[in-house]
Amino acid sequence: MNRNRDFLAGLVATAFFALVLFVVIPAYVKGPSFIPGFVPPPDMWPRAVAGLGLVMGLLAIVFAALKMRKPGGDRIAGLGDRISRNKKSIGRFAGLLLVFAAFGHGLPVIGFVPATLLLLGLLFVMTGRFERKFWMLGLTIVFPIVLYLLFAELVHTPFPEGMLFSHDFPTL
Amino acid sequence: MWNDLVYAFQAVATLQNVVAMFAGVWGGVIIGAIPGLTGTMAVTLALPLTFSLPPVTSLLLLIALYKGSTYGGSISAILIKTPGTASAACTGLDGYPLALQGKGGKALNMALISSCIGDFISNVSLFFLAMPLAIFALRIGPPEFFMLMTFSLTIVAGISGRSLILGIASACLGLLLATVGEDIYGSFRFAVSEDMKAGLGVAPVLIGLFALPELIKLIVSRPEDNNEALKLGDNALSLSEFRESVKSIIRGSIIGVILGAIPGIGPSTSAFFSYSEARRASKNRERFGKGEIEGVAAAESANNGACGATLIPLLALGVPGDVITGVMLGAFMIHGLTPGPLLFQNNLGEVYSLFIGILFSSVFLFVAGKLTVGAFAKISRIPQTLLLPCILILCIFGVYSIASNPFDVTVMLVMGVVGFIMMLLDIPAAPFLIAFILGPMFEDNMRRSLAISRGDVGVFFHSSISLVFFTLTVLSVILTIRYQWRKWRESSQERVASRKQQAWQ
Repeated sequence: MNRNRDFLAGLVATAFFALVLFVVIPAYVKGPSFIPGFVPPPDMWPRAVAGLGLVMGLLAIVFAALKMRKPGGDRIAGLGDRISRNKKSIGRFAGLLLVFAAFGHGLPVIGFVPATLLLLGLLFVMTGRFERKFWMLGLTIVFPIVLYLLFAELVHTPFPEGMLFSHDFPTL
Repeated sequence: MWNDLVYAFQAVATLQNVVAMFAGVWGGVIIGAIPGLTGTMAVTLALPLTFSLPPVTSLLLLIALYKGSTYGGSISAILIKTPGTASAACTGLDGYPLALQGKGGKALNMALISSCIGDFISNVSLFFLAMPLAIFALRIGPPEFFMLMTFSLTIVAGISGRSLILGIASACLGLLLATVGEDIYGSFRFAVSEDMKAGLGVAPVLIGLFALPELIKLIVSRPEDNNEALKLGDNALSLSEFRESVKSIIRGSIIGVILGAIPGIGPSTSAFFSYSEARRASKNRERFGKGEIEGVAAAESANNGACGATLIPLLALGVPGDVITGVMLGAFMIHGLTPGPLLFQNNLGEVYSLFIGILFSSVFLFVAGKLTVGAFAKISRIPQTLLLPCILILCIFGVYSIASNPFDVTVMLVMGVVGFIMMLLDIPAAPFLIAFILGPMFEDNMRRSLAISRGDVGVFFHSSISLVFFTLTVLSVILTIRYQWRKWRESSQERVASRKQQAWQ
């Protein structure tokens, strides 16, 4: 077992549930002006759940810290040390998040099929295994088109064609 | 009853249903055979494809996928020492040594036969146990259901991970996300954008949480490709070998049924328990772990024996026992059927059709496995670097096709990232998923109980059934804490001993 990971998990859980309990619920869960009978208000359940989550997060931190102090327990490695050890992996993760964000924003602009085509190509590149590049190239082109035909023809899904290719796109 | 059964048989025996079951078993075996792809992934990936199908056909397809993937996991466990699913890890203990001895085909045959027998026994138990349990459940009201769900979530939170605390935190996250959107009294919660007013869809959350983290892991940590698969070799399974393993198969099937029916335990634990029981009872116990065919039989009969049994609490009480039945609960709801006692009252025809279809799925599993065992062995060699990116694209198409809403795709991608972070921090995803699916029912029962009792919390402890579930919840918490404390003490003592040894050296 990795006490560092338990400690981090507790920290993340505590921060998340504290944010939900003290910031998000007051801002985004509004009760109606009148509640009939003895029905609990709509924010009661989220508050109870977030409160329990917060307690669990704190308990995870306390237990991990206690175990790390005992003989034979792991010590908390410095965050800087962990980041420098996993620099490449963190970079790849950040790159993937950027790719996902670009896909989300690009989808309405360039259309569904071109966006998925580009996404698949980028994902293949990001796996870093180029010994099967012909397979990668073939699948990048063929797979999204086959899926498009399958869903458009059989399930009749209307896919967005994208502003760039739409007839409504304003011409200069 | 018999008339209903005959009618249900006629309803099931259509070409569409037969094709769905065969395709489900086949697809399940293929996905289960590929390391890294799980039965949960198979069912979640197929979910969007079933929207245009009738409910019974869709559910039979998904159940067949579940059963197929549970057997399929044994193929890669035996031939490449990499279990396709967690429940097949135990099969590899003796399956791989057998394959090394040139008896891979024999091990696969035994895995198939014992899987089918376990599966059949499990299906029969589902047939006979679900209905009485549902009739009993009709007598219980909102406070008892609230307590039952609390018990179920506590068990899942305690068993699915290494820490009960993190398991409960994961369940809290699932319960919170389930509150997004409009509640039963018309108030909006966490509706940050217009899209969120309708809440988060079950399918995008499920698919994101269970299909995407593997792909993200592949890109971030770039693991090595799968091992090379061994040749099938000796295929023939002699009658005497089968006869020697019959006891273990029957024992394993019964263990699978009993443990599978308890929420939170599922096929993996059943397989290991059955394996250790078979080793304890066998006269060849010294050969276990070195290539004993009885070991393969014990593990496979138990993990498939648990499959049908996990559906008992799902169908009768509406409470999923593990992740895959959690996904199945989502599938039932998407198709307009609500598992639980009322399902047996309002949709008895569909229930009988499902039972009959499930009974026949064992036969389909046998035929599919027998005909194509050689081809499946090749499938386990498909490299993940080609497969996982294609799966993401399939997920995107599938999720988008549910409501033609790009927001669902965004939810899926975000949930994929959340699932990956949970994987990194070793926070179990199973309690999250089950809490997310049970969340609305959980809250509804709580609010209704408080409304009935005029705000008195004591309503949850008034009836004897509530008290039984409360006692079970407390007991399960105590036992989990005790188990985890012992495990931690043992590992910490081992570490101290090894450090002392290093210091001496």
